[in-house]
Amino acid sequence: MTFRFWLRRPAATLGAALLLLQVIAIVFAGMLAPYSPTMADPLHSLEPPSWQHPLGTDVSGMDVLSRIIFATRINLLVSITAVAAAFLIGVPVGLLIGFYRTIASTLVMRLFDFIQSFPVFVLGMALVSVLGQEIWNVALVLAILFVPVFARLVRAEVLSLRERPFISAARCSGAGDISVMFRHILPNAMTPALVQLSISIGMAILLTAGLSFIGAGVRMPTPEWGLMVSSGAQQLILGVWWVSLFPGIAIVLAVLCFALLGDQLRIFLDPTKRAPGKAR
Amino acid sequence: MTATLEVERLGVSFGPSGAPRQVLHDVSFRLEHNEILGIVGETGAGKSVLAHALVGLLPGDGRVTDGVVRFEGRALADMSQRERQRLRGGTISLIGTNAKALLDPVARVGTQIARVLRTHRPCPARQAWRQAVELLGQVGIVDPAARARAYPHELSGGMAQRVVIAMALITRPGIILADDATLGLDATVQVQVLDLLVQRSRMLGVSVILITHDLGIVAHYCDRVAIMRAGRIEELRPVQGFLGRPDTPYSESLLAAARARPVPAEQRHAGKADKLLVVENLLKLFQVGGTQPPVRAVDDVSFSLERGETLALVGESGSGKTTIGQCLLRLLAPTGGSVRFDGQEIAGLSEAHFRPLRRRMQMVFQEPYVALNPRWSVLDLVSEPLALLGHHSRSQRLQRVEELLEMVQLSRDLARCYPHELTAGEQKRIGIARALATEPDFVVFDEPTTALDIRVRAQIIDLIRSLQSRMGLSALFITHDLNSVRSLAHNVVVLNRGRIVERGETEAIFASPQQRYTRTLLAAELPIEWSASRRAGAATVANPVSEHSA
Repeated sequence: MTFRFWLRRPAATLGAALLLLQVIAIVFAGMLAPYSPTMADPLHSLEPPSWQHPLGTDVSGMDVLSRIIFATRINLLVSITAVAAAFLIGVPVGLLIGFYRTIASTLVMRLFDFIQSFPVFVLGMALVSVLGQEIWNVALVLAILFVPVFARLVRAEVLSLRERPFISAARCSGAGDISVMFRHILPNAMTPALVQLSISIGMAILLTAGLSFIGAGVRMPTPEWGLMVSSGAQQLILGVWWVSLFPGIAIVLAVLCFALLGDQLRIFLDPTKRAPGKAR
Repeated sequence: MTATLEVERLGVSFGPSGAPRQVLHDVSFRLEHNEILGIVGETGAGKSVLAHALVGLLPGDGRVTDGVVRFEGRALADMSQRERQRLRGGTISLIGTNAKALLDPVARVGTQIARVLRTHRPCPARQAWRQAVELLGQVGIVDPAARARAYPHELSGGMAQRVVIAMALITRPGIILADDATLGLDATVQVQVLDLLVQRSRMLGVSVILITHDLGIVAHYCDRVAIMRAGRIEELRPVQGFLGRPDTPYSESLLAAARARPVPAEQRHAGKADKLLVVENLLKLFQVGGTQPPVRAVDDVSFSLERGETLALVGESGSGKTTIGQCLLRLLAPTGGSVRFDGQEIAGLSEAHFRPLRRRMQMVFQEPYVALNPRWSVLDLVSEPLALLGHHSRSQRLQRVEELLEMVQLSRDLARCYPHELTAGEQKRIGIARALATEPDFVVFDEPTTALDIRVRAQIIDLIRSLQSRMGLSALFITHDLNSVRSLAHNVVVLNRGRIVERGETEAIFASPQQRYTRTLLAAELPIEWSASRRAGAATVANPVSEHSA
């Protein structure tokens, strides 16, 4: 991991730098933010960027910079938790329904079709309105949306892997279903799911923000990027651009970060695309 | 007089310019008009790189570092991009391995052949199609007008290879470059395809370069032969002289390995000659379409195997020999019939009841690389059967793996390697070591000698022979490589379309085959000897053959 290593991979460097920035924001939010993220100050409402408020204030006079910093916690933690849960459920489910071709696996696939055939936002709104506008309910909704994504990816790999000769060879050696599934198939089927993990976190960030933007996510005054964009949207026409623009940039950078990392992960996990001499 | 093709001191390297890897060194040869030149070498000798350099299509970061390639006196390097395009397919046509992969899956084959013609000279579509159909007839395809409308997946491997030959011939090129064009085809089909290629080329006055690792092909078809090794031409001579007395020790070792025909290790009768495996009326049906009758892949096959006996199942692809092997080891469930192993009926056993028997019945898989889990090290791969048995400690397993590696003549350092770091021969040995790990009584060898280099093939045959004599192994040997059958099997069963055609002792079958099908199979073997009479006959063989589409 020398300096040259990073210089040769600008995309990886940018992705890693953005991730580091977000980690810093999450860990040190209390120290970095100049104001409390939820303290309203009606006297200083809708102030443009200045030395006191580097990114301006919103309609209730809350500091935009402080809110963006604190919102990193919620947006990232919700997205990562949701995607991690989806990964942990989706991968084994995909493995099972790919390996055992029974009526049950067909039914599970139809359930996934059902989940995925709904427009994401309609399903999200419906679920959040039933479960309540809690931040962890948003995470639950996202997890439900992403389980089919991982399960399908793994299933597709398993379907082709299970016909490969090395699986027959393992059977000949006396391997049973469990051994074949977990020791032979799963390690070979993971690459697309691992790449999707990073890309999905980016998508989840976008969805969290989107759900809040349309009012199906968290409620004020929770610092959340989508909610912040939405709260500034009404004033955009009055020339108050800072309330919406800066959280919007935060969303773009966060999504970009995970998309870049996903690409790098794909290259890293594929031995044929790795630089020669670095095999294994 | 200028030669059709002249290659002078050609050098090719790959990799960054700072640290180039020289792949071809100082390669020079001339190809005369109407000559057939064989280029022979083992994997990594640079044969395919040479072929690609000749047409100016080096892959990746490969480049010509020095030397000249001249076509009819014109240097390839002096040609413009456009001229090179006209050269490829116009002056020199390339026929590659695996014809089915070379054809566009979504275009009719007739269209694809006509397209080649129309790229090189203006020609009305209708006329180009007519020419394509005519040519398909000439390359021995029955009912060419109908076949020209077929898509590649509707053709068998042999037919696809003929279509590719037609594509190569339609522009009347000066040179045809066949890069292992018949690799993976059945011997009978290979002979038909090569006969046809050579006959058409002689008729049209086309020069041919046959790149191959089969010295039988060279002996049978080529005028001169170039032996390549590590990017250099070691020897370039007329074939007759080469076969009589090769110049270099390397060529001599190649010829010796290819001609080696040891006899099978003597069958050891362990006390009484009892039957280890008895197969009776084995039946395996595959349901293809909903309405069509099922394919009878294995049709009423019966045979038996004594302890210490090696039985060969031979036949062309589609004869059901691999399916039989898979049925015996329960990788496929037989549709009917009985299989008794050491007195126990195993055809109807459930997987759970069969699993204890797996220790005693093993299989060496056909393609070594794909039969090894790419993410496992050699140590894990070879010790897996032991680990699943569960009564060895980790250190015992390690010790056993080292013993096994030694037994298959591999260095114990390889234990830490992964399959993609090994050569094909090493992968094959790993497959054998793995199958022998549990000291089985019975092993199925599925095509253990195909797709291997000449000398590696000879080594694998030697290895299997030594295992036969050391362990008294009972083996079923599935192959279409008849040469190796003579060295490994005591008895032979000849299969055609799932049925047994002929059976008997190996020497008897080879000496006096009773059935026409067996004689056809044996005739397709190309001996590595100069035979003027066979050559004269070659030109008359390529009659249209009726082949069923795959």
